[in-house]
Amino acid sequence: MSKPAWSWQFERDKLSNVGALGLPGPITKEWAWGDSTGAGVKVAVVDSGIEATHPAVGEVAGGVALVYDPDAEGEVTMIEGPHEDLFGHGTACAGIIRKAAPDVRLYSVRVLGSKLSGKGMVFAAGLRWAVDNGMQVVNLSLSTGKKEYFGTFHEIADEAYFRNVMLVSAVNNVPKPSFPSLYSSVFSVAAHDGTDPFGFEYNPSPPVEFGAPGIDLEVPWLDGSSIVATGNSFAAPHIAGLIARILGKHPGLTPFQVKTILCAVADNSE
Amino acid sequence: MTSHDRELLTQLARTATDMGPGLVPEGHQELLQCITSAAQNLFGAAACSLALLDDDEEELEFYVASGAGAEDVVGMRMPVGRGIAGWVVSSGQPIAIEDVAKDKRFAVDVAQSTGYTPRSILAMPLETERRMLGVISVLDRSSDRPETARDIELLSLFAGQAALAIENSRVFSNLGAALLRAMASAADDGDLRRALQETARDTGAPSSDLAELAAHFRELGMLGPEERRAATRLVGEFLSYVRRRR
Repeated sequence: MSKPAWSWQFERDKLSNVGALGLPGPITKEWAWGDSTGAGVKVAVVDSGIEATHPAVGEVAGGVALVYDPDAEGEVTMIEGPHEDLFGHGTACAGIIRKAAPDVRLYSVRVLGSKLSGKGMVFAAGLRWAVDNGMQVVNLSLSTGKKEYFGTFHEIADEAYFRNVMLVSAVNNVPKPSFPSLYSSVFSVAAHDGTDPFGFEYNPSPPVEFGAPGIDLEVPWLDGSSIVATGNSFAAPHIAGLIARILGKHPGLTPFQVKTILCAVADNSE
Repeated sequence: MTSHDRELLTQLARTATDMGPGLVPEGHQELLQCITSAAQNLFGAAACSLALLDDDEEELEFYVASGAGAEDVVGMRMPVGRGIAGWVVSSGQPIAIEDVAKDKRFAVDVAQSTGYTPRSILAMPLETERRMLGVISVLDRSSDRPETARDIELLSLFAGQAALAIENSRVFSNLGAALLRAMASAADDGDLRRALQETARDTGAPSSDLAELAAHFRELGMLGPEERRAATRLVGEFLSYVRRRR
């Protein structure tokens, strides 16, 4: 069994408890999402595409594929409509989200492709597309370590925050610049070694805020297959799915309200 | 910055760039080979390899490898748009997969090129704050190793060391541009910073024959004093001969 970095913070003997808010009544999982299935909540997977025919994924409501093109306006070409998954990872994330919130509307924003040049610009454009096109939850199991993109992603993340778009970002494996996962406006996630899809923890010592399953998970992959995989990138879609369930029951919540709810119902909450 | 200043800077950068290949630290490839060997041994793995992005960032080329299939895999190229290593460099995220044979496209790619099909792979990006460099992959880690729980964290230490070594070596492949960029990042004045960055961009790669000559001098410099004296005499005589003929 392998553990991604940051996972150690969620080990039982390392994780301290977080204080309760002292509200008149407790925030419970039953109140937070109860039997919500995330019906109608728009969730974007910004990744390598989604295999829409995969039985674990179900319907893909729409999407866009972005490619670096130095001659295009903004140096990025966007093609809306169906596209395949080039790697398998986007399908894995989509399957995890579908399992947690069966009735969400999934959108694929494909930003990973045939070459790396311009990746930062393509990634930023994909994220902006998600924010501008009414997505409510955006799963970001990718990051950039290039400092030159700090400002670009910070601006989009702030805009998302103020427009109530929940950006769920897998943290990088090493403590060095990683955008957008290090911003306080996003839900940053690392893998813990639990397997309960609805079990997660809140880390009172950020920048990594949430721990969710991401170790030795069976996840959907290319050509209708499934594989056993490990990585923080598989933990983020668990939190994305849970947020979709919460929004299905409580439409219109802000990111800080959702963080409050998640913190209150985390497994390590007192 | 005046046009004279810029001309001077360009010439300095040109000179530095042509000298760069003569200054590459000794043992760069050997160091990377040590890193893959150490990782392979530590993880009790069948193989460990290091693949670097090409200049166009369209392909990964295996640069060094240890263990099963190592001889066949070095020099092999694969597109960044497919496979597990491709996703790792594209996303900037590490990944471990225990049953890679189920990813049929990956399994076929690897088996055809190396003759070895792994059961598991652990792959991590090699990245600095400036760029993505490549990927380090460990195939078939030992299942009974006591410390497997922290394999991803451990591999990140190897990845960090390899990334630094590669970045340091690449500085010398275009020393002029590297010096100008360093000056640009230290410049407070915005106009000066932009001018330095532009000049850095305009500095081409070292000319290949000068780079080769610089590399020869570097090698000569590491020989004993007698060899150095003999080489100096030979070069001096060659120069006199060329001057006489002109």
